[in-house]
Amino acid sequence: MAENGAKATVTLTIDGVEVTVPSGTRVIEAAEHVGVVVPRYCYHPGIPSRPAQCRMCLVEVEGRPKLEPSCTLQAADDMVVNTASDTARTARQSVIEFLLVNHPLDCPICDAAGQCMLQDYAYVTNQLESRVDEPKRIMGRDRISDDILYFADRCVICTRCVRFMRDVAEDDSLIVAQRGDKAYIDTFPGRELDNPFQGNIVDVCPVGALVHEDFVFKARSWDMDATASVCPGCPTGCNVTIDTKENQIVRVKPRHNAAVNSWWMCDYGRNHLVMTNRGVRAEVPLIRDGGGDGDRGDLRPVDWATALDWVAEKIAALGSPGGSAVVSPDASNENLFYVRRLLDRLAVADATFQVEQGETAELPTVPTLKLRADRAANVAGAGIFGGRRVDALRNGAAADGSAGGGSAGRALVVLDDLLEGAPDDFGASAGFFLYVGTRLPGAARNADAVLPIATFAEMDGTFTNFEGRVQRFHQALRPPGLARPGWMVLSRVLARLGDGEAVNDVRTAFERMAAEAPPFAGLTWDGIGLKGAPAAEANR
Amino acid sequence: MSRRIHPAVVGAQPFQLTARETFDGPIFETAEGKHRLEAALSRYPTKQAALLPMLGFVQSVKGWIEPADMVEVAEALDLTPAYVHSIATFYTMYSKHPVGRHFVQVCTNISCHLNRAEEVLRGFLAETGTREGEISEDGEFTVIEAECLGACGFATVVQVNDRYLEDVTPERVPEIVAGLRGSRDGGSEAGDGA
Repeated sequence: MAENGAKATVTLTIDGVEVTVPSGTRVIEAAEHVGVVVPRYCYHPGIPSRPAQCRMCLVEVEGRPKLEPSCTLQAADDMVVNTASDTARTARQSVIEFLLVNHPLDCPICDAAGQCMLQDYAYVTNQLESRVDEPKRIMGRDRISDDILYFADRCVICTRCVRFMRDVAEDDSLIVAQRGDKAYIDTFPGRELDNPFQGNIVDVCPVGALVHEDFVFKARSWDMDATASVCPGCPTGCNVTIDTKENQIVRVKPRHNAAVNSWWMCDYGRNHLVMTNRGVRAEVPLIRDGGGDGDRGDLRPVDWATALDWVAEKIAALGSPGGSAVVSPDASNENLFYVRRLLDRLAVADATFQVEQGETAELPTVPTLKLRADRAANVAGAGIFGGRRVDALRNGAAADGSAGGGSAGRALVVLDDLLEGAPDDFGASAGFFLYVGTRLPGAARNADAVLPIATFAEMDGTFTNFEGRVQRFHQALRPPGLARPGWMVLSRVLARLGDGEAVNDVRTAFERMAAEAPPFAGLTWDGIGLKGAPAAEANR
Repeated sequence: MSRRIHPAVVGAQPFQLTARETFDGPIFETAEGKHRLEAALSRYPTKQAALLPMLGFVQSVKGWIEPADMVEVAEALDLTPAYVHSIATFYTMYSKHPVGRHFVQVCTNISCHLNRAEEVLRGFLAETGTREGEISEDGEFTVIEAECLGACGFATVVQVNDRYLEDVTPERVPEIVAGLRGSRDGGSEAGDGA
């Protein structure tokens, strides 16, 4: 509390607890410092405008005649705030009672039930009976965009969605139409929202008024498991929460990280992630150990021990043949690290990767959040571990030329690339063709061994984002069949070759990587935490 | 389709110029439209501030405001159509539906109610053969119930387009309707003392 010009901090009392906060802090935020969450609808920390219109966050300030909205009230020295005094509670109860006058109370079929701020606050008021005799006004349902539905009767007109679009996305196409009890959220008649970040309006909705159509009626909030993860859609690496039910991803929501995505994420990432785990997967290890001289035999399914023993044996027999590799910018740092170890063992210097390209999109007011043209999470990581980026999407020549399918006796390793456009004989003449992947594309037909691995959603790991920030993601799903995390599989191959231990947990895998790969020096699994940390020199 | 000056607003509020032009095509490309837009813009610091006068102007030309007009206003003022829609629907005195040539608003608030406003309203509906808010078959009338028109000393008050008819009794309703039917130019010639 230095008195040099403008004071840097103020000290006030909230619910009997003294707290010192930077001056300019609003009371609603200061209250969070002492663990008091003042009920709110229109206030959202990520939306700059504060209309103070919902009247839920009214608090009593000693010495002031009227209740004040804590979302706009600046904390001041010696202020004594009561968030739960009788007056404040009564005012809040009245607001809830008004909101419930026309609310349909359709919680049993509402997607927000269990995660609804109206439900929560109404429950707290403990007013179980309505005093209203009149019929409720009924407004029905509308479509706000091709995948967002609006249930007007559930709406509390907090205008968070309108203000997200206007103030954060700077797209003034979502509005409040009409007024009073007839007010509803609308676009211009005959038009729909068309903004690459519009999905966030569903996340900011405090009730069940705005719902993603692909989530509607799909899961109750208490049936879902939430897992902290990172969006794999582009190198930005937005922090997300993956909601799963019965081993299916049913919903993805952004997770706050001030250094990366603030409170938001783009629609591409959201939809892409929900679809991540669809498609036919590689579920069982395959090896080609049949036939004798000349006849290569067929790929046949085997258990892990057999597959790993066989692969290690083959690699040991090969020695250091050189060759080539194709890696994936979707793979985790740990997977890429272990593949790099394997490639070093085989004396394969050249590893290429390709990155799918797409349209970009920016959120005007959040410069760190941008949908980037690269459609892969770990382009930086693929580069760190010696990958050479090839621009041309795989035509036969690039694949075959760089992959060395023609070099008899040499090794060919592919990590989770679908090898689109590869010729029929891709890798046919390689001395040893190892395919490690989540899926089993046709171009893997000539592989000598196929090791099925988990997708990022099925394991723990890290990605390095575009600015070298290393971010953790966690296992949200069980992998199908015998698929296992890539680092778990590859560490076992290497252990059989006398290189390190078989690793069962990601922490060990990460720590070995941090010890051996300079860009990750000094990082620890715990140190990264759920918000990520910058890699030492990963900037590219 | 040409946009004639809507009789609902001929001789409207004194501060407004009376539109005397036939409006074909985009409103703000006509001389009158340009003039109104420039006049409004010169009066306010931002383009957005001219929104209400411009919506009022459109209503004065057409009698009501349809979505296509909102798009035109939005383009003229660098706003989004959605925002214009929001404002136009917030204010109930912008008509979002077509109305008849004579737009009859019967006040039914306290003073008028005590002076048989409900009977007056029923009388207008019966005489014009409409239900509330409808346009009569001949396109002459739309009758609605209005909240307080601010002339409680002269209850019952009826507003026909921009003119007030005061001390209206149910007995006078047929005469008023007949007078309006005969009038050529909207409410300005109807009734007495208005």
